[in-house]
Order: sequence, then structure tokens, then C-alpha cells
Amino acid sequence: MTARLVVAEWTKLRTVPSTAWLALAVAASTVLLGALATASVDTSQCPSATECFEDTTKLALTGVWLSQSAVVVLATLTVTSEFGTRMIQTTFAVMPRRPAVVIAKAISVSIVVAAAGAVGVLGSVAAGRIILPGNGFTIENGYEPLSFADGPTLRASAGTVLYLTLVALLSLGIGALIRDTAGAITVTLTVLYLFSIAAYLVNDPVWSERLQTYSPMPAGLAIQATTNLDRLAVQPWPGIGVLAAYTGAAVAAGVAAVKIRDV
Amino acid sequence: MTTSLSDRATAEGRGRAGRVLRAEWTKFWSVPRWVLAMLAAIVLTFLMSVLSASGSGTDENSAIWDLYVPGPDGRPVQDSFHFVHQPASGDLTITAQVASQEGRTLDASPAEPEAGAMAGLVIKESTEAGSAYAAIVVTPGDGVRLHANFETVHTGSTEAAPRYLRLTRTGATITGFESADGTRWSEVGKVDVPELPDAVEVGMLVGSPDGVVVERQFGSTAVGKTSTISAAEFDNVSLEPGRTGFWRGDDIGLHGVGQFTEAQGRFTIVGSGDIAAYSGPGDDVVQLSLIGFIVGVVVVCAVGVLYVTTEYKHGMIRTSFTVSPQRGRVLATKAIVIAGVAFAVGLIAALISFQLGQPILRENGFAPPAFDTMSLSDPIVWRAITGSAILLALVAVLSLCIAVITRRSASAITLVIALTVLPLLAGFGLPAGPAGWLMRLTPAGGFALQRVVEPTEHLVDPVAMIAPLEGLVVLLAYAAGACILAGWLLNRRDA
Repeated sequence: MTARLVVAEWTKLRTVPSTAWLALAVAASTVLLGALATASVDTSQCPSATECFEDTTKLALTGVWLSQSAVVVLATLTVTSEFGTRMIQTTFAVMPRRPAVVIAKAISVSIVVAAAGAVGVLGSVAAGRIILPGNGFTIENGYEPLSFADGPTLRASAGTVLYLTLVALLSLGIGALIRDTAGAITVTLTVLYLFSIAAYLVNDPVWSERLQTYSPMPAGLAIQATTNLDRLAVQPWPGIGVLAAYTGAAVAAGVAAVKIRDV
Repeated sequence: MTTSLSDRATAEGRGRAGRVLRAEWTKFWSVPRWVLAMLAAIVLTFLMSVLSASGSGTDENSAIWDLYVPGPDGRPVQDSFHFVHQPASGDLTITAQVASQEGRTLDASPAEPEAGAMAGLVIKESTEAGSAYAAIVVTPGDGVRLHANFETVHTGSTEAAPRYLRLTRTGATITGFESADGTRWSEVGKVDVPELPDAVEVGMLVGSPDGVVVERQFGSTAVGKTSTISAAEFDNVSLEPGRTGFWRGDDIGLHGVGQFTEAQGRFTIVGSGDIAAYSGPGDDVVQLSLIGFIVGVVVVCAVGVLYVTTEYKHGMIRTSFTVSPQRGRVLATKAIVIAGVAFAVGLIAALISFQLGQPILRENGFAPPAFDTMSLSDPIVWRAITGSAILLALVAVLSLCIAVITRRSASAITLVIALTVLPLLAGFGLPAGPAGWLMRLTPAGGFALQRVVEPTEHLVDPVAMIAPLEGLVVLLAYAAGACILAGWLLNRRDA
């Protein structure tokens, strides 16, 4: 029964043309913005080529800043479009165990986002390997080429895929809670982007650190750090834990709302 | 009669335009959700502004007297240079040629001079930093300038050394001259320095302002300053009347690198430092109280998009186009309505944010003398407040037109937020050059409309790197481009 439910949700997701486009957008924007950001940073901007202390892995993975917005759209739509078209009444008539429906949706959207994210991350790391040496990040200056054989780089890359998946589930939870596409997307993007900007704009060090530790996007992206870990407001795994906590809360609230409310 | 017919047609056209406007306005205000969202935009904007102001602080005012001294009027000034001088009294004339000027590295090898490196003549109250003075200097980058008491500037020619310079004192008035050959003189300007006593110190000065060092480390860009040194050769020095013949060299202010040598009437003087009024750290106190607009922009974007996509979703757009078949006019009318509402929201939100935020910022250290007190009586504050309203109005129009293009709320909202908010975030992590270009190439640059301080690459905030006008142009270009495309698509596509 549960497997059939996942298959049903998977079919719904797969057969909507926007899914393929958005998955492509996730992968492409990860690579494109990552390559642009990498290309714009050069060791000549540092006091000397060996004193950059640049986190090249994190730099190459900058693209998720943009691609997560496509993830938000994709994941929100899996829930809100059914509410928008009233399809949700049919779905719940066929499958009265509503939380199971939301969970099936979560599973199928996670698969799509993780796959698209993995393609994007692979592309970004490959782009980084090509671009970085040309900008002075060479072995002579102390920068090994990006490689998954390097433990922290592997953690950062796999962590980025995990980050995108958690963002998808966060969007899905908020979507189930708000039910309206425009409202849900606006709220999710606000939660992700605005708190991060606030962390930069607030120059009081205590508040800035609090915002970086407890805002979903900066905390979750701590997973991308491979060097200078002592300078982080929150360490990689606790950081993504903070995001996971927000995601868990949003999904729980979404499931509860779907269960309690009329459709 | 043709005239009355065309008159009637025009009047009818005008009446129809008015009806379309009223219809679109009714569509807007009769949706409680949108009206509430716009009210929420005001509240969220000023709440965010106030929160951000509360979390901002500076110790500039306590650090200021470590680097600056009180000037003649008590305000902080930088007054440091190497002064080769002797006492003199009464009316006098000092003349010299600055034969050459070069830069020095910190280990004394030759270097390119700073554009603002000074070599010239000065009449000064005393050798104490911050005392009254008048000076004429030649610089490699800015030509000849006459200045006094850290303020008044007369600009002379744009020539660099070699250059003959002369200062003449008559009572409280000091006149500066320059010449290419020492015979034909032209007046640079006159300046009154009543603070100068009868007995003054007069002589030659050499200084070189701090250089700016922009460095990237640990994935972010930091801006620092470094002292620079310049050396100049003077000859044909004459002081009339009352030459004693003894020249003394002193470092004025905080520097300790200056020195001079004299051989057969030729002086080689090495100095560092600058003579300038304190210019502030560059933080824009007005912009700091309007930070909340990042929330306002997001809310206005959502409403602007929904104003169109709701009609598509419910098929209402077909009714709209049946009633007024000129689709371009419907789009223009919608743009006017949403721009007007967003402008009003922006104006109210900016006024409240500014009035609530300024006292908090002053409390947190953004106060005189390091920061000017800003109030609604300054026209430039009104420019920033109106600029904020224009920002919201243009973002609303951009959202509306992108919504017409995509016809979907999800993609339109995401596109506008990715274009207007994300570049701000990305800019913080990029080096100054690419961050500035990101602002010039995306509508996020529109946030520069909220700034009143000159653009600078010395702050981490990417918006600080471009001028308000540049921001307006890029935002306007995006809004206009989106609306032209939207208008074209409206006429081509089925509704």
C-alpha cells in the first residue's frame, strides 16, 4: 500500500512538465553560479598568493545559493498545486491516510532534488577543478585540486546535496501549512534569504553570530566549510542539524495541518 | 463635423481610460488579502529596520581621537606632514619651486607617488597639530590647491611638479600664486585666516596621505589603510622680509618618518601624512535606518505578481480583455495602480523607519562628530526616502510584468526575489569589483537609491559600491524591459 502510494506520487511528479524543467534549473544554476563565483576570485586580491586562506570547495559550491530557489518552487508546487486545482480532494478520497500522502510526496520530491543536486554538485566541483588553478589556486600556492578523495570536500559535497534535500522538505512542510503557492514560496524564500542578509547587516558581533547559528540557510551551509573551521559561528554537522530541526518542525506542522483541516 | 467627432472620440477615449483605471483600482482594494499584505509590508519593513538599527553599533566616536586632533573650530582633523620652517612675523611673502616629487616605499626605495601627495608652502599658527594655517601645495594627481584651516580650497592649474609656488600674507588675508617659470605668476586665490597671530611659523611642507589596501582573506574582503611616504625637492626658496636663515624640520602630528637635507639652497624633504578634515568612516546612517526594505521588497513582489496571476488562474483575465480589448492599456493601468500603491507603502514605511531608526542609531554610536545628525530637514534625506518609495514602486512593476510573462505565481515570485534580493547576499562574499558589477547588472542595485553617502569600495555592503543614479537606471531598465516584453506577449498570446 505504502509503496503504491509512493509510486502514485512519483507518477504525479514525473508527469508534470515543470518538474523536469525545475530539476534542470537546479542542476544548471548550481554549476553556473558556482563557476561564475569561482571565476571572480583570484589570489591576486590577497596579500600574497599563499595567504588567501580561501575555502575553494565552498567557493565552487556557491551555486546552491541560487539553485535552492528552484528547489523551493519544485517542492512547494508538489503540495500547493494540488490544493490550487482541488486535485487534493481526489487524492484524499482515494487515500484517507493523509499523513502518508504527505510523506509519499516528501519521498518522491527528495529523490528528484537529491538527483538534480548531485548532478549540480558534481558539475560545480568539476568546474572548480578547471577554473581554480588559472586563478592562482595552484599546488605551489598550497591548494590541492578539488577531489572527492579529500574527506572535507566529500563531506561538503554530499552535505550540499543533503542541504538541498532539507530545503525541499522545508518548502514542502511550509507548502502543506500555507496551501497557497505564492504565499508559501514567499515565506520560504524570506526565511532562507532574509535572515542570511540580516546576519551580514547586523554588525553587533553577538547578534551576527546568533543569526548565523540559528538561521536555516547560513547554519545549513556551514556543511560546505572545509578550512578555517575555527572561524565558523556554527560547525558543519551541528549547522545542518539546525536546518534539519527547522525542516522537521515544518514537515510536522504541515502534516498536522493537513490531518486536522478540511480540504 | 470632423472636429467635434474627433473631440468626442478623444473624450470617450479618456473616459474609457478612466474607467479602466477605476476598474483595476477596485480589483486591487477589494481583495482584503492584498490590502492586508501591503499594510503588513509597512509594518514588517519598519520592524526589520528598527531591529537592524538596534543590532548595529560603532565605536568610531571613541576611536576618533586616537587618530585625529581637534582643529581650530574643535572638530576632528588630520594634521600631519613634515614641516621645514622658521618663525616670522607680520606681512610676508614666501616663494619656492617644487622641482620634483616622488613616492618612497616604507624601506626608502623610490615608488610611484600617491595621487594626493603634497609638496608646498605653509604659513601656520604654530607647530602644534591642529593649529590654524594656510597652504599652497602641488600634487601629482590633483594639481595645485590652496587650502586653509582644513576646509577652504581654491583649485589652481592641474600641473604637477616642477612648479613655482608663492604665499603672500597681508594682515589676515593670504594670497596664493603659482607659476611655471618663476617670472609670470597667476593668482590661485585668496583666503582669510583670522586665527593666525602676528608671529607665525612659515616654511615648506611635504606629506603623503594614507594609501588604501583592499585585501581578501578567509573568503571575505577587508579594507585597510597604510602610511605612504613622499619626497620632494625645493629650490629658489626665498622668504621676505626677515629671513633668519635657520630652517628647522619637524614632524607635525603623529608620523615620525620625516626628514630634510639642504645643500646649496636645494632642499630634499621627506614626509608622510595628510592635512584634511575628518571624513567619517563611510557608513551611511540614512541607509542603515532603512534596512527593512529587503522585507518590503519581498512582500510587494508577491502582491505585484498575484495582481496578475490571480486573474489568469480564475480566467478573470479573459473578462478583463473582453471589456477592454486594448491589452496594452490594461497592463499599463495595472502598472499604474500597483506602482502607486507600492510608492505610498514605501513612503510611509521609509518615514516611520527613518524616524524610529535614527534615535536608536545615535544611541548606538552613530552620532557626531563621526557621523552627521540626519533629520527630515535635510533635502538629501528626502531623496533617500523618496528613493525607497521608487524602489518599491519599480519592484512592484517589475513583478507585475514578469508575472504577465510567466503567468505563474511560483516562477514569477522566485525570479524577482532571485534578481532583487539574492545579489545582495552574493555581493557580501565576492571581491569588491565583481560585487559592484553584480549591483550594476541586477535590479538589486536599486537599493542604492536609499543611500546618501558617496559610493565607496571600502565597505563590505555591495550596495555601497554604486551611485543611487546607477541603481535607478538598472532597476528602471529591468522594469521597462520586462514590461515591453510583457506587452508584446500579451498581444501575441491567447489570454
